[in-house]
This record gives sequence, C-alpha cells and structure tokens, in this order.
Amino acid sequence: MGSYLKTVIQNLLKGPSTDPYPFGKTFEPKGLRGKIRFNSQACVACRTCEHVCAGNAIRIKEAEDKSGLHFVVWHNTCAFCGLCEHYCPTKAIRMTADYHTAHSQAEKYNYVEQGFIKYVPCSCCGKPMIPVAAELLALAYKETANVEFLAQLCERCRPGNRLRKEE
Amino acid sequence: MKNALKKIAIQSPWLYRINTGSCNGCDVELATTALIPRFDVERFGCKYCGSPKHADIVLVTGPLTDKMRDKVLHVYHEIPEPKVVVAVGICPISGGVFRDSYAIKEPLDAYIPVDVNVPGCPPRPQAIIDGIVKAVEIWKSKL
Repeated sequence: MGSYLKTVIQNLLKGPSTDPYPFGKTFEPKGLRGKIRFNSQACVACRTCEHVCAGNAIRIKEAEDKSGLHFVVWHNTCAFCGLCEHYCPTKAIRMTADYHTAHSQAEKYNYVEQGFIKYVPCSCCGKPMIPVAAELLALAYKETANVEFLAQLCERCRPGNRLRKEE
Repeated sequence: MKNALKKIAIQSPWLYRINTGSCNGCDVELATTALIPRFDVERFGCKYCGSPKHADIVLVTGPLTDKMRDKVLHVYHEIPEPKVVVAVGICPISGGVFRDSYAIKEPLDAYIPVDVNVPGCPPRPQAIIDGIVKAVEIWKSKL
C-alpha cells in the first residue's frame, strides 16, 4: 500500500505525460523516415529506385520534347520504406524527417516530389545523354585523376580508341 | 438556438473508424492517438463511438477490398450528415502497396467523397492528429 501511494505521488509531481503536439513541440525518433527529397544533380537515372519501390510510387519518364527525364514520387502511394534511399548508388534520394502528411482531397494528385534530369550532349558524337554525376565518378573511379573528359562521353564513345587518344 | 447548438457541437466531434481490409497498422496508430494519454486525441473533444449513427468524423483505414466494398458503403450511408471522411494511410488513398491487386478495384474516393488524406504506412500519430484537426475545421464549415 505504501509503495503504491509513493508511485502515485511521484507521478503526480511529474506532471502530465501527454505529448503537447499540435500546440507544442513533439519528439522525433532517430532515423525517422519521412517524405523523400530528390537531388536531380546527383541522379544518374539508373531506375533502381523505380524497380525496388514497394508502393510503385516512383516514376521516371522521358519528357515529351526528349530534353530530359522527369522524376516523380507520389507521396500518396509511398510506403516510406526507405528502399529507394538504400539502393540509390549516388544517394540522390534522401528520406527527410518530415512526417507532416495530412492534406485536403484537392491536393491529392499534386502531392508529389519532382525533379528533372536534363540531357547533355556527348562531347564526341553529340548525342544527348544523361549527365554523369560527380557522385557516380567518385564511386566508379575512386581517386583516379583525370576522369572529367570521360564524364563528357556517352557510353558508346567511352570505351576503345577515345581513351587511348587522350592518353 | 441553432448557432448555440453549433458552438456546442463543434467542441465534441465524435470519431468512427471503418476498417476496409486494413493490415491493422493504421488501426493501431489510431488506437494510439486516442486511447493512450500520450497523444490523447480527446483534447480536441473527440471520442470514439461504436455506432455509425453517432459519428461525425469517419476515419477509414485499409485498401477497400472487393469483399468489403458493399458492407463499407452500407455502414457509410448509415452515418448521418454532415460527415467528414478522413482516409488514413496510403491504402484508402491510392491502394498503396496493394494497388493493382485482384482484390482491389478502385481507391476509396471512387465510391465515397473523401475530405482529408493522411498518407503514410502507417502515418505517425502526430500526422493523424493533424488530419483530425483539419477534419474538425471542415466539419465546422459543413455544420
């Protein structure tokens, strides 16, 4: 009986345990997966994220004028599982800690994260190609110097004679 | 008299939960927002009721499976006007990870007018509270 009263008094002194949200601050656990943030500069359009997406929320489509690729994540079918972030080789996709997802019905189909990956011409043959991100070069060539000219070549011009000429 | 009643009614929007084939993730989060003191949705005057006849705000979880559709519509039409529908989780909004399944023909808003969407799998209790606050505002304008 005594111990029980002691606990009651202790809890009374502690004050309410209710989370004050939305009137006050709330807590965020470490590693909380919220809405996706997309960095089109680092994206190499490998489409791994599109492939692993559980909710089929990611779409990468070529623009109608063939000038680049549209990247769209529809948050209304994204399960926030983080697979895209995990498999993204250049970490162009990042999960933010933004969990505030409530929105009205009117915004339903505009509730997206978008990005545009603009094609650049190949410095050798001139065909439009997806720009090679610096993150990918660092991943593929580690600390090998002088790969900038490689990054300006499309995948057909990169191997073979081109390389030997530059050396 | 009517205005006075409105002012009183706004202080206690009653919640009613329809599970349309949910995996129970969102249902657990709903129970968490309401039934434990930590998030305490009852601060807004909300209260879960067991009968659709008493409901003001309807919280729908689950992807509206083909088997459940007619039963859900039956219950939905028993809820008196004005009512506000909140779709909780990605399943009722778009089908979520179950989209294109043989058991799910269309998302919820093909059958029922939805007012507020709270995507997430499941959404955090705080996000659900956001949605309920939005729904209460819409309900005020509908009264």
